[in-house]
Amino acid sequence: MSGPDDFRPEERAQDPAPPATPPVESDLDHERRTDQAADGGQETGPSGDTERAAGPAHDGGPSVESTTGTGQAVESSTGSGPEAGSEPSETGSAPEEHAGPGSEPAGDWQGLHPLSVWAGAVAAGIFLVPTAVIGTAAIALFAPLPWWALAPIPGTIALLAFFTSIDLLRLRATRFRVTAERVEMRSGVVAKAYRSIPRERVRTVDVNAPIFVRVFGLCSVTVGTGEQGGSDQFQLLYVTAGQGERLRRELLLRRPATGAGAATTGTDGSADDTEETEETGEVELARLNRAWFAYAPATTATLGIGVGFIAALVGFNAQTGGWAWEWASEQANLPTAEELTSMVMTRLLVVVPASLLVLLLSGVVVLTAVAVETWWNYRLTREADGSVRLRRGLLTSVSLSVEGRRLNGVTLHQPFVLRSVGGADVRAVATGLAAADDEKTSAKSRLSPPMPVGRARALAAALLREDDSPLDVPLARHPRAALRRRFTRAGVVALLGVAVSIALAWLHTLATQAWWEAVHEIEEEIIPVPLASRAVETTPSWGWAFLAVLVAVVAFWYAVGSYRGLGHGTHPRFLVVRSGMATRDTVALERSAVIGWRITRSPFQRRVDLADVAATTAAGQRMYAAKDVGLEQGLVWADAAVPDLLAPFLVREDGAEGESGGSGGQGSRETPSQA
Amino acid sequence: MSTDALRLRPPHHRVDRRAILWWTTRALAVTVVLTAAPAIPAVIFEPARPWLVPATAVIGVVGLLVTVAMPVWRYRVHRWEVTDTAVYTASGWLWQEWRVAPMSRIQTVDTARGPLQRVFGLSSVTVTTASAAGPLEISGLDHELATRVADQLTETTQATEGDAT
Repeated sequence: MSGPDDFRPEERAQDPAPPATPPVESDLDHERRTDQAADGGQETGPSGDTERAAGPAHDGGPSVESTTGTGQAVESSTGSGPEAGSEPSETGSAPEEHAGPGSEPAGDWQGLHPLSVWAGAVAAGIFLVPTAVIGTAAIALFAPLPWWALAPIPGTIALLAFFTSIDLLRLRATRFRVTAERVEMRSGVVAKAYRSIPRERVRTVDVNAPIFVRVFGLCSVTVGTGEQGGSDQFQLLYVTAGQGERLRRELLLRRPATGAGAATTGTDGSADDTEETEETGEVELARLNRAWFAYAPATTATLGIGVGFIAALVGFNAQTGGWAWEWASEQANLPTAEELTSMVMTRLLVVVPASLLVLLLSGVVVLTAVAVETWWNYRLTREADGSVRLRRGLLTSVSLSVEGRRLNGVTLHQPFVLRSVGGADVRAVATGLAAADDEKTSAKSRLSPPMPVGRARALAAALLREDDSPLDVPLARHPRAALRRRFTRAGVVALLGVAVSIALAWLHTLATQAWWEAVHEIEEEIIPVPLASRAVETTPSWGWAFLAVLVAVVAFWYAVGSYRGLGHGTHPRFLVVRSGMATRDTVALERSAVIGWRITRSPFQRRVDLADVAATTAAGQRMYAAKDVGLEQGLVWADAAVPDLLAPFLVREDGAEGESGGSGGQGSRETPSQA
Repeated sequence: MSTDALRLRPPHHRVDRRAILWWTTRALAVTVVLTAAPAIPAVIFEPARPWLVPATAVIGVVGLLVTVAMPVWRYRVHRWEVTDTAVYTASGWLWQEWRVAPMSRIQTVDTARGPLQRVFGLSSVTVTTASAAGPLEISGLDHELATRVADQLTETTQATEGDAT
């Protein structure tokens, strides 16, 4: 538990020099140069991790003339940064790189495509203009002051013009270029920003083309670096599809280790070279099979989305005070709400299953439509340079490339319903993708639609370039104590279920006729066919016992499934953990990507000799845990998965130093000892 | 379990004894605030007293128990160690945690001291890796020692190869 007074930002700021900045890393310093630096000004401070500060207003539009200036600035800022000297190749090559701006065609600053402004305007216009027309008509017909009818259309046009001109300014202020070492972007109308990413830090390139942009032949390009919580991305809105494709290839293209030497050939030339090799070297890992869309509705949400869909209609009805239903029934000669209610009450056995079916069907329709939109034209390929490329999408076509080296593993993702119909989907465990809390990047990590589980396993093996898939290694069972823990939890839930049932049954006996009347009235306000409260009223109060039993059965069934889901294992290159009942995830994580261990034990786990043993990593969800594993079992597994890391800290209970195959390093040689 | 079961041995060094005082003060402060939340309304609104007075009592007693037990317990658990190859920490009291991070994957080393820590002459050393799954923190070190540990860690990480990701 870290106390509330542990970290005070102002204290850090006071600290004149951060006591320690190791050489190896300072992503932020690299990727967020401020425009001040570009103007030749001094940096904001040694710890450049202040937000990408808005520099003083830049005079005029940044044009080619600033190329050399920027070059110097980048060079100087690289030199003045705390990481100076740690990456000599970069600093050393900078003068060479910028020596002759003219000789390097790739170094030219490029603008966004002018059409992107009109793409935005058309997209906004499609929504706004009809709204304005309807508004005009509505005001002219119904409003007490018809003169106001003149307002919406000119107003909308002015609004559109205003935003378009702002967008035009943004467009003109945005410039980007790709040099041999970095990819750079200047942007901002009022607050100038200059962003620069070393090309070796580029993890993902994401090319998106929503339909309104695609008709203009444009696309957006997002460059991902794996930086944590990247609030402001490196994003180009929009460039031509050809430019997007070229950027995608160039940015993920790894130069030879010598780096700077290859740079002089110019990026254009090298891109042309690779174009051919890539065409031939592309390996297809998966392609859409339309039968897979059948898996799309296999989620627990299907019924829920159906409910949501119907609820939206019901909500509309309620907002109009039941007027919508009255109007509809008058028009179509449908029975009124009262007649409907009586009809429903007499045929309850037919109506309840039928309405459930309707809910299910509407859920299926919605989910299948979403799946088709998302996964149309799905293709997963491995490019010649080793990067994995995902293409998909009907209205918004998406192309995502992940650098091969950054793909540290895969997750076989099986939500309960999908699992029970034999489906699974494959997700990437990659640096720069999918922090668990970030919905947007989490969605990005999906590399396949739901597909048959056998196909998904084969795809995972192909992605990891392994003949014997890590997902097929036999997983060790966790101790029975883990099952007992789950039974204990299920028991608690069952007891709660009993308590709630008793409370409800008690309320049921207390409820008077008047109270029921009130409830019926409220329900009639909300839905045209009040069913729920009447059904509850007619049930005898001992019926609540069924609820208690149901809760208990589900809880214990869940406990067993959850225990059976637990497992861990090792593969020559990967470690594997599996857990989950509602959603079962089998994760294969590259052993070399493990950057630490975290072992946690609750008081209950200590009593029964269990522990959660988690590997931390920079990729994916940052931490993958073997839950409720036997302490010894877990330690042996962790020690085997990453040799030498844990070994110095392991002992046999009798006191002998155990398993110290590594450099030993017990004790703290240079550690200043306590007073 | 058998007698020669594989175990994590505790890291070598305890934190500074003054950390007990620091944790006690912190827990006391939290207890006072939490107890005051129902206690002050209880003084003002007489009708709510039957509910608020027991709440105050429960929160106060639990808070005091934590204040008495937690710091000593923590002191027994909290340990740390820096070897040539890794940083190893243990922390927690009811829920305990052991963390290992190899030198080659360490990204930054910070020392930080809150106002309360400063009163007791303490500091925390925070070691971050490329994983966002939480940094290693050694809290409650003597300020001088914390600075030396941070310096040493910096030196060692500089000497270690690796791109930290």
